[in-house]
Amino acid sequence: MLTALGRTLLLALLGLFFACIIGLFFGMLSVLKNRACNIISQVFVDVIRGVPMIVLAFFIYFGVPYLFNTIIGGFNITLTALQAGTACLALNCGAYMSEIIRAGIQSVDKGQMEAARSLGLSYGKAMKKVVLPQAIRTMIPSIINQFIITLKDTSILSVIGFPELVNTAKNVQANTFMAFQTWAIVGVMYLIVITILSRSAKLLERRLNVGR
Amino acid sequence: MLDANGVVNKIHVENLKKNFGSLEVLKDISLDIREGEVVVVIGPSGSGKSTLLRCFNRLEEATAGKIVVDGIDITDRKVNINKVRENIGMVFQHFNLFNNMNILDNMTLAPTQLNKCSKDEAVAKAKAMLERVGLIDKADSYPSQLSGGQKQRVAIARALCMEPDIMLFDEPTSALDPEMVGEVLKVMKDLTQGGMTMVIVTHEMGFAREVADRVIFMDGGYIVEQGTPEEVLLNPKEARTIDFLDKVL
Repeated sequence: MLTALGRTLLLALLGLFFACIIGLFFGMLSVLKNRACNIISQVFVDVIRGVPMIVLAFFIYFGVPYLFNTIIGGFNITLTALQAGTACLALNCGAYMSEIIRAGIQSVDKGQMEAARSLGLSYGKAMKKVVLPQAIRTMIPSIINQFIITLKDTSILSVIGFPELVNTAKNVQANTFMAFQTWAIVGVMYLIVITILSRSAKLLERRLNVGR
Repeated sequence: MLDANGVVNKIHVENLKKNFGSLEVLKDISLDIREGEVVVVIGPSGSGKSTLLRCFNRLEEATAGKIVVDGIDITDRKVNINKVRENIGMVFQHFNLFNNMNILDNMTLAPTQLNKCSKDEAVAKAKAMLERVGLIDKADSYPSQLSGGQKQRVAIARALCMEPDIMLFDEPTSALDPEMVGEVLKVMKDLTQGGMTMVIVTHEMGFAREVADRVIFMDGGYIVEQGTPEEVLLNPKEARTIDFLDKVL
């Protein structure tokens, strides 16, 4: 069970890592003063938000290889459950992160960007030195919340056979018939990890609020 | 840019138009501002004063017309506007100090990021500027710990750290409590004595009379009347200027 917890955490960490990249990318696209970029970002977010994660998981794990190998032909792609699971989490969490980042950046007063630009700083420098540091403060609670949701969402990926906590627990229950003990332990494990996560988030939040 | 009389024009505006969607904010503005001139722009709200000022450093893009600053046509899209802006300081109604940094970092950010000078030089200059505006004891404070008047004095000092040739003031005292207006105007008045080219949008008529070389009255997207403070503020000729001054004085 502990190795399964480890695999849950590995999956969550990989997913979150790529989600941050995806989220930052699409988040920035949505705040740029460029219609095309805004639309691309909006479509991405709408599509991912509009599809249940379990469907997305099946689509990536079974659908995508089938598309390349059979429909298009000439490929021989097989995704491991970890790869498909990571992609699924990254896309799903990335879309929500993108919205959090967009809202965070837009919550910073426009005057901050204007003042930085009027001093001669480029858009990129103004964003990096002035706007993003302020946006991150307001984003932290939502990002942590999203991390927690993503950590819990790894359990959905038991459907594509990745041996994370829930999938492993199903096997344990089948072998031992100790349903109560098994699921109680699983529940407590999630609870402990998530409590640690949200406590350290509180600490971080307080650190970042210095000088406010 | 030299005009016909051989005078150096810091800012040259030709048939400037600015629309926001279907709303015409600036209709046809032509204007020359000489080096070292202090120009005060007055007018009712919505007359386009702030928009005009913001066109001078391209915070607003001109819809049509030409703006030449220091000989550089900033309406040309190929111009590196960041470089031009290094020479144009701007002070905003709402101060816009960077909330994530202390006062000293606010002032040294642009000079160091743009490699105008070393970190040590930037700090020394920032401290000298803070001394000048009487806020040296606030160097390590954060903007949220300052009063409005103090914030605006820092904002002016921050702009001066870039050693600009031109300073633009967009209603610098409009968001201040009345008792703090004086301290900010005093800093600005000191600046006028140093020969800085200044364009000031304000509702402080007394200040305009005292420091302006020229007063411009704007209404409805046009320059309605301009001249010395005595001409415009004391003996206005246009009906709209008279009407406006009646209401504010």
